[in-house]
Parts: sequence; C-alpha cells; structure tokens
Amino acid sequence: MTVLTEGDRSVEHDEGSRTTGAGRHDVIALADIVKRYQMGGHEVFATRGVSLVVPRGEFVAIMGASGSGKSTLMNIIGCLDVPTSGHYRLDGVNIRDLDDRELSRIRNRKIGFVFQGFNLLPRMAAVQNVELPMAYAGLKAKDRRARAEAALNTVGLADRMGHFPSEMSGGQQQRVAIARAITTDPALILADEPTGNLDTTSTIDVMTMFADLHSQGRTIVMITHEEDVAAYATRVVRLRDGVIVGDHQQTPIHARDEHVAHVQAATARHDDRELLS
Amino acid sequence: MNMMGNVVMALRGISSNWLRSLLTMLGVLIGVAAVIVLLAVGTGSSEAVANSINSLGTNTLTVFSGGGGRSASQTGTKSSNATLSTTDVKLIGDANSAPDVQSVSPVISTNETATYKGATYSTSVIGSTPSYLPASNYTISAGRSISDADVKSHAQVVDLGSSVTSSLFPTGSNPLGKQIQLGSSEFTVIGLLASKGSSGLSNGDAVVIAPYTAVQDQLTGQSQSFSELLVQGKSSATLTLAQSEVESILAAQNNTTVANLPFSVLNQASLLSTATSSSKTFTALLGWVAAVSLLVGAIGVMNIMLVTVTERTREIGIRKAIGAPKSVVLSQFLIEAVVISLLGGVMGVLAGLIVVRFRIDGVQPVLATYSIPLAFGVALLVGVFAGLYPAYRAASLRPIDALRYE
Repeated sequence: MTVLTEGDRSVEHDEGSRTTGAGRHDVIALADIVKRYQMGGHEVFATRGVSLVVPRGEFVAIMGASGSGKSTLMNIIGCLDVPTSGHYRLDGVNIRDLDDRELSRIRNRKIGFVFQGFNLLPRMAAVQNVELPMAYAGLKAKDRRARAEAALNTVGLADRMGHFPSEMSGGQQQRVAIARAITTDPALILADEPTGNLDTTSTIDVMTMFADLHSQGRTIVMITHEEDVAAYATRVVRLRDGVIVGDHQQTPIHARDEHVAHVQAATARHDDRELLS
Repeated sequence: MNMMGNVVMALRGISSNWLRSLLTMLGVLIGVAAVIVLLAVGTGSSEAVANSINSLGTNTLTVFSGGGGRSASQTGTKSSNATLSTTDVKLIGDANSAPDVQSVSPVISTNETATYKGATYSTSVIGSTPSYLPASNYTISAGRSISDADVKSHAQVVDLGSSVTSSLFPTGSNPLGKQIQLGSSEFTVIGLLASKGSSGLSNGDAVVIAPYTAVQDQLTGQSQSFSELLVQGKSSATLTLAQSEVESILAAQNNTTVANLPFSVLNQASLLSTATSSSKTFTALLGWVAAVSLLVGAIGVMNIMLVTVTERTREIGIRKAIGAPKSVVLSQFLIEAVVISLLGGVMGVLAGLIVVRFRIDGVQPVLATYSIPLAFGVALLVGVFAGLYPAYRAASLRPIDALRYE
C-alpha cells in the first residue's frame, strides 16, 4: 500500500522543530492539553493537563468512565476539536496552527476513524464508503476502486463490496469502517468504542482485526471502557476527571496462550451461526 | 472531489427522496412554465392588437366625419353639421397643400347582402377610389382593381374580398365577369382580393370594394357624404407632418382652428405605439405575476434544502470527520439545490412549450424566444440562492456536533 504524500508538504511547515520536542517516530505528542467549556455560566474542565506520547507502532487503549474526559481527548487527538491550551503534534505536525481546511486535510491524510456507530453512509455500497476518504484526497476513480477493493479484501469482505450497510451485520459494517480507515494508509487509526455496538463474537472478530493491523506495524489508539477490549492493546492509559491516572504496558491478550483456545471456540460458534443463516 | 462526482452524489441525494424532490421541482416547474406561458400570452395579445391596427393600412391617417372621436366630445353638436367633401379630397391630395400625403381615398361604407345564384353573404361594401386598395394593404389576386375611369363613369364593378368570393362562388369556378347582386343592384366582378387573414377584431376579407360613385348611385343615394377619408402618408417618419397638413386643410375648409376641428383624425402610427406600450405594460405585469410564482418555488427549494441538511447532519459529520473540506460539503448541497431547480426548470420549459400551443382566453400565445433563457437562467439563480444558505449551514457544522446528532 502506498502512502499519500501528495500535497502533505503544505502542513509540514515545522519540519525543523520536529526533533526538538518529541521523538521523531512519535505519532502522537500531547503536552499539557487543557480543554475548557463554558456551561451555564461556569467553566467546566474536560481535560486538565493531559500529556501523552504515543510512538509509532503502538496499540494504545485509553480507558475511563463517562465524564473522565476520554471523549474530549479522542476529539482532540482526532483533530475534530482543538484544545483550549497545550500543544498537540500529530505525526510531526503542530495542530494548533491549523485552520479548518488544514484540519480536514490532516484528518483525511493522517487519521483513519473507526466509530462506535460504524458511521457508514447508508446510501452508498461498501466499496463506495471505503472510497470516500480517497475521493476527498483527490485520487482518481480507478485508483480509488482498486485500493478500496484491496482494503475490503484485507478485512475479509471481498464478497460484500456491493452490499449496502443496511444489508450487513454490525460486525461486517464495522469491518467496512476499518477498511475505510486503513485505505488511505494513515499514520494513526483512531477507534472510538469500536465494539460498543457489537455482540461478543463480532467483538472478538473486530478486535482480532485490530490486533492484526497492529502486528503489521500500524499505530492504533482506541477509546474504550471495557477491560476485555482493552486487553488487546499493548498499552493501557487510564483517565479520571480529566487527568491521566494510570499508564502501563502489557502483553496483549491475543499473545497469551489461554486466548488462542478462547478465540477458536468463539470462531467455531461464529462459523456455525454463519452456516445456519 | 470532481464536479461529476458531486453531480452524481447530488442526483443520488435527490432520488433517495424522490417524491419530496419531485414536489419541490413542481414548484420551480410551475414558476418557469408560468413565466413562459404568461409572457407568450402577453406577446400574443400584443401581436393581435398590432395586427388589427396594421390591417387598417400602411402609414395611414383616417379622418372620420359626422361626429365621434375626441373633437365631438369636446365641441358637442357643432360637429354634426361638418361633412367631408370632394373639395377636401382634392385639397388633401394636392402635392402643394399637403406635400407629405401620398394618396387620399374617400370612403363610403355600408352593409349589404351580396347574392349570387341563391348564395348570400352579408358583407361590408366600401365605396372608394383605386388608391384605397394599396393604402389598406389589399392586393389583387386575380382580375384588376377598380380604376379612376370606373370612378368617373360610375361603373358598377366590384373587387371581392376572399371571404365573399368563397361564400358566393363554388370552389373551382371563375367569378370574374359574373354579375352579383348587392342589395337590389347588379355589379360585375372585375377583380378578386388576396386574403389579408382575420386580424382579431375584424375580418378584413368580408369586404366588397366598388367605385364610390357607383355606391352612391345604387346603394346609399347621391346625398350621402363620405364617412371617412383614408389618407396615406409618404413614410412612417412623416406621418405626423401629414397629419398636421390634413388637419390645417380641414380647419381652413370649415373656418375653424385645428383644436376645434369637427373631425377626428386617427394616426395609425400613434395608435400602434399607444397600443404597443400598453400591451408591453400588460406583458410586464404578467411577467411579474409569473415571477411571484417562481419566487414561491424558490422558497420551496430553500425549505427542502434546509430540511435535507438537518436530516443529513450525521452524514455531514461523517464526511467532515473523514476529511471532506468545507468547500466540498458546500458544493455538494449547493449542487443538489441547483440540480433540483434546473430539473424543475427543464420540465417547466417543456410544460410551457406544450401549453403555449393552445389558445388561452381567445388569445393565441406567441412564444417569446427570450423567455426560455430567461426562465432557465432564473431557475438556475433560484437554485444557487435557495441553496446557498442551507449549504453554508451544512458546511459550517462542526464535525463533533454533527456526529453526535441523532
């Protein structure tokens, strides 16, 4: 898969300062991120100074209860929102300096989103949904189609290209969303509760896919509140009341022995269900 | 994102809610069709008026005697004594006293029943001189016109209008040289007039033209003075000059001033320009009525686009999250609005072209060619303006808010 480099130069204006702050291979470098809202006259802090560095190739789970600030953090990491104060560097680009247009460009080139609610466009077939970010990147229709088909092949949906989201199960829809996220070969895959709407079998299915992507060297940041799901990550960051309260590395569950049997059993169940339906 | 992709996306958006889109288009359709049809009705009716004025003749002045017209209303009974005499005709026809007059034709008109071998036809009979025919735009299609010699010799000869010919004579027969009866007198057919076509108010073909001397002899009596004079000017530019010459001659003849002239002089050119300007006003008024319906259509498009943007807030959020810039979202919804109104515009033009083929309230609409690009251009503008605000709203949505929208 080729990297989308065309036109990226316009946003990499601080190339020189790259090495001074965070390390050169860091995908995410958050420094003292504060997000403040005005709510009914008084100020509410969503994050109160979060600093976090994610090197390339890590699979990070950001955990926390609702109200812990993890959604705000996810929006900031995803360049959907800008912090009130603090610095954020994504793949070497300082996000603070960017305007609306450049932010959409960054989201398009550097981030692959996977949402809880799948967020596929209902009136488009799977392959068209996967093509969409490449269309915004300005790729030719032929190249888009080829890459979208390759991405759908990667997630095991080669036979569902022309299906509409309404004709697919939740797990399949989420796999289309993953295909859409990886097709531009982004620096970061950002998943927001990717298994929140899925049953156990589909959850294992989708998480195995994330584990595979990680093993291929991709950087993944996943927001979740489920320990089972966080177990697939190599690093778990815990948030409470807008600050980081825990940060540790771990052996992901799929690398542990007991997991293999667990998955095999679940996959067998899954196959039975597919045969029945 | 290229233009084609945007248009395809817009069409997909439109077809996903086809009934609603169709109803929205109907608003534009009716507006565009109304513009085309009402402008055509305006143009058609003004052409009808112009035709009926033109059928009076080319560059002509008509002098009416025996009251009527503006002078009669101003001067009361005084006018009733004044008559148009052969002396008047001579003076107006004189190149020295009236240099801008081409010809003058005295007219005696009456209505008679024409009879030939049992076939009858009620027609108007014009008693005049040969110059009447060119001045009134009559041309001879067969035979010859009445001549000055006929006038001098009181010859009982006639030129027949085409309606009279077709009513009295079976098709294929030759009416020339045949004797027809007008009232109780016999007249010989010496010429046939080419059809002028019906011109709205009067049928210019239901006419019989004979020497005025013969008409006086046989039908109206010697004492009958001319009911009108048909004066032809040398050109349309000098018609007003010719009018003042005629008016001064008549004033001198009747020992009065031009202002108190006991005749009314109808200037065809000024009549035409008055009629044209009033029918222009009429057409413009119709155009504005149509524009109002187009405005209503525009409001419909805007309304639906606002609903569409609200409905698709989540979709907008997804698109923006995965990297659609503001401009792409803006153009997507703008194009959708423009496509809706252009489709409505195309159907409106077609509907207008169909309706224009039928008579509406006695008026045959005449398609004003400028109305098609006008209506189409306005439909396009409607799309842009009605789409601009909703598209801007969509483009300005913050992706996190839009994604949270249920």
